[in-house]
Amino acid sequence: MASQTAFEQEVARLIVDSLNLEDVAPEDIEPEAALFREGLGLDSIDALELALAISRAYGVQIRSDDENNRQIFASLRALSTHIEANRAAS
Amino acid sequence: MTDATPDTRPLIADTPAPLARIGDHLVSRAAFLADVQALAERLPPARAAFNLCQDRYHFAVAFAAILLRGQINLLPPNRGRTTLAEIASQHPDAVALVDGPDTEIAIPILRVTAHGKAGEVTGPIPEIPGGQTAVLAFSSGSTGAPTAHARSWEALHAVTAQALEALAPEGDPAPTLVGTVPPQHMYGLESTVLYALLGPTTLLAGRPFYPEDVRAALTACAPAVLVTTPFHLKACLRAGLEWPSPARILCATAPLDPEAAGQAERVFGCRLDEIYGCTEAGAIATRRTTRAADWTTYPGVGIHAGDDGRARVRGPQHPEPVPLPDHIEVRGAGHFRMEGRLADQLNIAGKRASLADLNRRLNAIPGVLDGVFIPPEPDADARGVTRLAALVVAPDLSETEIQAALSECMDPLFLPRPLVRVGHLPRSATGKLPRQVLLDLLAHHGQCA
Repeated sequence: MASQTAFEQEVARLIVDSLNLEDVAPEDIEPEAALFREGLGLDSIDALELALAISRAYGVQIRSDDENNRQIFASLRALSTHIEANRAAS
Repeated sequence: MTDATPDTRPLIADTPAPLARIGDHLVSRAAFLADVQALAERLPPARAAFNLCQDRYHFAVAFAAILLRGQINLLPPNRGRTTLAEIASQHPDAVALVDGPDTEIAIPILRVTAHGKAGEVTGPIPEIPGGQTAVLAFSSGSTGAPTAHARSWEALHAVTAQALEALAPEGDPAPTLVGTVPPQHMYGLESTVLYALLGPTTLLAGRPFYPEDVRAALTACAPAVLVTTPFHLKACLRAGLEWPSPARILCATAPLDPEAAGQAERVFGCRLDEIYGCTEAGAIATRRTTRAADWTTYPGVGIHAGDDGRARVRGPQHPEPVPLPDHIEVRGAGHFRMEGRLADQLNIAGKRASLADLNRRLNAIPGVLDGVFIPPEPDADARGVTRLAALVVAPDLSETEIQAALSECMDPLFLPRPLVRVGHLPRSATGKLPRQVLLDLLAHHGQCA
């Protein structure tokens, strides 16, 4: 599998902790794999929980009318990139 | 001049309040009727149509067009292929009205694209026969396919009139209904669509989801009525944002604790009213949670304890008394307290299901030899939402295959987490599965993983 960057490791830990994914090790999340449905099987409740955790940890507010909302949650890599970009901008 | 008769009810209220808000665009009632008529002309002849539109304006246009053609709105409890197929088997001529990327639906679709800019209809407001079945809503029964609950157009008129009288959400200017609930849910239909169709309020087409969405919508739509659920309300409170003050908050689908209600009234700076209802009976009562633990029924709605211990409700919208799916203590005329759910009833993030029905569906999957869902502890979800777990005996299926089969017939909220495959279930001599034994087995799996 592709290896996680340092920041992706951090976000992977946030995902596992905030969603209580007891069966998942953060380092096992494929950076490019789908987070929702086929991948980790996450759903809308998880998306909301994850958005809260991201806002607490990084001060980044997720919005569903962001044109690229589907892309933001597409994968660990996409999510990490979005957080880094918006954290830097603020 | 109207076509009104004693047996008909108008399709929409005659009020100056805009019917809908799409972004910054306000849609007048006359413009709404133009969209409704255009869509009604595209509907094929049938007894019923699925209304799967996710945008609330599209849903409202589809809802009214279906009524105008004398057809029934089918409101499925989820979008699983099996669920839709089961309902479609009872309504073989029904098409699905959709507005999203619903490419996996196995029934013919009709796409709804109305956006309130197709002109205006200046004639009389159309009248709909009061006895016409307007919607079929579905609950998961303990046996068989989803149970259909029919609502006539006059019944929907009645419950909306009661709610508008009890809650008086009107104002000047007319408030906008900002809903986080889907319109296919009875609470969403009543409180985010019918209040606007039949009363002096305006519906917001979008469905804000993340707390930041809700904040932006409340800011843009002032004065706003936030129509939400305990799950979404608590997420907003946890987000730690600065909130604009709505005119009011309405909350339903699961009881809200008084502490959270008090916090919401302080943080949002407005009153919060809860609505009690269920798919079987629709909305029937309300309470201001910070002031009263007891519920007060809507005007004209009565409640009484049945001989079998189940409370029954009866209002002008109910042809027969309707048994309620909760433990209810009737406390004088028009007042009651909800003591908890009946044993078989689950509520995950505001969505109800029957445990027996979920178990039946799990065991109906080809390759599943035995299986059981394990509900979370009551009140386990103080922080976030606690999911169901499941133990499954299926030597030839992977966990992914079982989850995929389940997702075809139930809301994603009910998918088990974890789903643990075991060699056999620890059934007692009578075939029972004691809860503690199941929990021990789950815990044992956790240690081995």
